[in-house]
Amino acid sequence: MNYTLQFGPIWDNRALILDGFVTTILLSAAALVLAIVIGTLVGTAATAQARSLRVLSIAYVESMRNIPLLIHMYFWYNGLSFLKIPAFWCGVLGLALYSGAYVAEIVRSGIGSVPRGQRQAALASGLTNAQAMLFVVYPQALRAIIPSLASVFSQLIKDSSLASVIAVADITYQASAIEGQTFRTFEIYITVCLLYLALVTVVSQTLTILSGTRDGLARRVADA
Amino acid sequence: MPEVILKNLPFMLQGLATSLQISAMVALGGTLLGLIVAVILYSRVPVLSVVSRVYIEFIRGTPLLVVLFIAFFGLPALFGYQTTAYKATVVAFILFIGAYLAEDIRSGLMTVKPTLTQAALATGLTQGQALRFVVVPLAVRRIIPTLFNQYVRLFKFTSVASVIGVAEFTGNAMLVNAREFQPVTILAFVALTYLVICLILSGIGRWLYARLAVS
Repeated sequence: MNYTLQFGPIWDNRALILDGFVTTILLSAAALVLAIVIGTLVGTAATAQARSLRVLSIAYVESMRNIPLLIHMYFWYNGLSFLKIPAFWCGVLGLALYSGAYVAEIVRSGIGSVPRGQRQAALASGLTNAQAMLFVVYPQALRAIIPSLASVFSQLIKDSSLASVIAVADITYQASAIEGQTFRTFEIYITVCLLYLALVTVVSQTLTILSGTRDGLARRVADA
Repeated sequence: MPEVILKNLPFMLQGLATSLQISAMVALGGTLLGLIVAVILYSRVPVLSVVSRVYIEFIRGTPLLVVLFIAFFGLPALFGYQTTAYKATVVAFILFIGAYLAEDIRSGLMTVKPTLTQAALATGLTQGQALRFVVVPLAVRRIIPTLFNQYVRLFKFTSVASVIGVAEFTGNAMLVNAREFQPVTILAFVALTYLVICLILSGIGRWLYARLAVS
């Protein structure tokens, strides 16, 4: 093993790495918001009374999550290339539609974990259907699903690296570029690894702490 | 079937065979690795369990693509050996999926009641035998659905290998697309094929679970 580790060239390229890191965060954040919207709609549809809505919801979840993410990205980038959607948004769309299916599954199980009586009581007290969901069911479901959501979110952040394949200049893309210039192969990829690890850890720990305090808060209210 | 698919079917199916081959090897290797790591964590083997924890946390916080790049570009540069895209893929995927499988198998091991181990030890089995004949078989049967979820995930992941030039299904399909330029048709065919195989895989998982389930 006559390879000496040199992190100097990596440090020299810190501007590029930072640029890619910011793109990764923006990409993940945009996809996350969209995935939550899709997941909430599809997940709620799965618990609807109407059979057609339930079937549609299952069809969405099963088809989206059983197709590789890379194919989702190619679909928007290559398949619909005539639409000329910028690569960044192709990445966002691919990620959001794919992860939305996972979020939907979690939302569905979260709604299922709220006792039926809660919704009935809300309706009986004069809330409309939408109000009952928004003010009674969702808040309770949210608390139950935060740990699973945290794991889907960190999955999404890691999955965003695939956007580099469709030329989104995220951190993985910049790593390849820097690798091509400096040939410090191992160093650059390890650096990127640690950055992803840090980002994922921060996001999942924040959510865990958040759910802890919320739970604690709820318990304190209940105790009082 | 559209003509463009029929004409290029043998080439794409060849890629699909490679995808399936990689998946099978990685499923086998990954499960073995996961089992070893899970048993190390479960038995609290001194130094090794710390190493295992670090390995799991590191892999679970890292994207597959970056692990793949490290296995294909980074490690050979660091240790000065030659590798092929195919070999690097198998190594990277085993290391990657092994970490997830280890966590799943470990949580399966935890569901086996300690009284069962005690009973096994009381009948004269050694620690190792108790693990091998009592705890592991029970745990694995309980987590079959989770295992198959990982196998499905793994099969989808093989598409990423095309990025470093492995001639698997997605890679071959994109090559066909480069020549024919009918992306919608070709991608739809590819997506449908993945979908069907993934659904079959999860079906097998459910069937096995129903047959082997223990309460």
